Amino acid sequence: MSYPPQPPYGQSPYDQPTQPGFAAPPPPGYGPQPGQGYPPPAPGYPQQGGYPPPPPPQQPQQAYAQEQFGGPQAPLPSTHGGSGPVVYDAFSLPVNDNVNPYAFSVDLNGSYFLQKGKMVAYYGDITFKGVGAGVLDRMIGQHFNSPMHAADWVVAQGRGKLLLADRAFDLNSYDLDEGNLTVRSGNLLAFDPSLRLKQSIIPGFLTLIGTGKFVAASNGPVHFVEPPIRVDPQALVGWADCPAPCHHYDHDYMHGLIGGIRRLTGLGGASGEEHQFEFIGAGQVLLQSSEKLMAERSVGQVDAEAGVPVGGVPSQPAASGHGGGNLNVPGLGNLGDLGRRFGL
Amino acid sequence: MAQFRLQGSRVLAVELAGEAVKARHGSMVAYTGQMSFKKLTGGGDGLRGMVARRLTGEQMTVMEVKGQGTCYFADKATEINLVRLNGETLFVEADNLLCTEGSLRTGTTFTGLNGMSSGNGLFTTKVEGHGWAAVTSNGPAIILRVDKSQPLRVDPGAYVAHTGSLHRSLKSGAGWTTVIGEGGGEAVQVEFTGEGLVYVQPSEKVTIGGDV
Repeated sequence: MSYPPQPPYGQSPYDQPTQPGFAAPPPPGYGPQPGQGYPPPAPGYPQQGGYPPPPPPQQPQQAYAQEQFGGPQAPLPSTHGGSGPVVYDAFSLPVNDNVNPYAFSVDLNGSYFLQKGKMVAYYGDITFKGVGAGVLDRMIGQHFNSPMHAADWVVAQGRGKLLLADRAFDLNSYDLDEGNLTVRSGNLLAFDPSLRLKQSIIPGFLTLIGTGKFVAASNGPVHFVEPPIRVDPQALVGWADCPAPCHHYDHDYMHGLIGGIRRLTGLGGASGEEHQFEFIGAGQVLLQSSEKLMAERSVGQVDAEAGVPVGGVPSQPAASGHGGGNLNVPGLGNLGDLGRRFGL
Repeated sequence: MAQFRLQGSRVLAVELAGEAVKARHGSMVAYTGQMSFKKLTGGGDGLRGMVARRLTGEQMTVMEVKGQGTCYFADKATEINLVRLNGETLFVEADNLLCTEGSLRTGTTFTGLNGMSSGNGLFTTKVEGHGWAAVTSNGPAIILRVDKSQPLRVDPGAYVAHTGSLHRSLKSGAGWTTVIGEGGGEAVQVEFTGEGLVYVQPSEKVTIGGDV
């Protein structure tokens, strides 16, 4: 398993004392290595007090940007010290890594699955097609299980660099190596076609199985913790390797007549933390650093059948999601599930 | 010359020694020293500009800040990007322009029918001259280079600004499946060709076209 222990983007900028103005110069010898770290955000930002910025570290792509910048050609914006903000192009964009904590760059050659509307920009020749459309129907069978609401997914096909982002939430990529990871449906952003996506038995969650990379969004940086642990329901992003997830109530506090009244009315001080999710067993639990839920994505309806949790009940989109809004992707004449039903 | 610097990534500090800067109305969060704030009607583009802004809907309420000391500006905790202009033109959505140095001229420009379906309006704001401009973005903006061999396509909701000589055209990926709600979710894209830099934000505004 390679996913959890690696800090989300190379050097985990959150651990370092934040300095105003992004002044922290990267350690000497730091250079962009594929698959690790994103370049420091715009080292050319003006510093506190207007001092000239420290000499920029020798970075190939930085040098490239500068050479392009200060070149004799068209005058383009630059800052005081001659080093401009980091400028990316199709070659200097990271390969399958974060550009900054909020944007992820995919080096596309073939196909990639992403949630609708998460493309920000791209270089190259890429087409976006609804998963359910025409010839792509075949892919559903391979990568999605049938009740899955595949209509919310898009296949990006072609060659080029693709930038993904989601409402300025933190993005992390995870590598699965013959593993499995279950994630809240609203948090999953994109995944490699080498992974299979399944609807979890637990309503509102999706499970990814296999080997490959996927990108998930979270409200604030993600933390990996090991069970046994009890977590706040709103802070849970997902879990890996099946540690038994179950509910936990602070029984003593909510016990008896007084407890019942407390629970129903909130009188006498319900802390709002009486209900937790408990994880036991080996694995990793992913937590986001806020209690703001990402709006849930419809994962489609499970057939009503004895023994199937929430079978036959359409999944309820969370009303309290970030930004609210209807996530059933309104379009021109969106027919909702109907298109799916008729195999369009 | 007014000194622009970032205080953190979400607050812009401008040091003034008697000069004036133009800033979005109500964006001042704090200041030290002596400052005067004067509302400029019509985006501070003069009478002709005022009429143009009224007509084009690229409304921008701007104040002129003048004085001695440091003035701090911020807008809804959005990230601030400083752009230094040396005679070239910056095209930016009026919503994203926070502050410009007094030496810069602002105006509106026609973007063609392309803007309309992307929800950004038919017109955009043009900043030209020599000096600093501060542009806000939801999440730190990513600067992408466009040259002749590398055209760039951008989601209209993520577009913030661009500089250089770029041609902007609308590309549609919509097919018959879009009409029945099974489209690719990226039906409308803006293509940039030419030479220049495009600023995109890691977030998407709600646009008319963006949801299709």
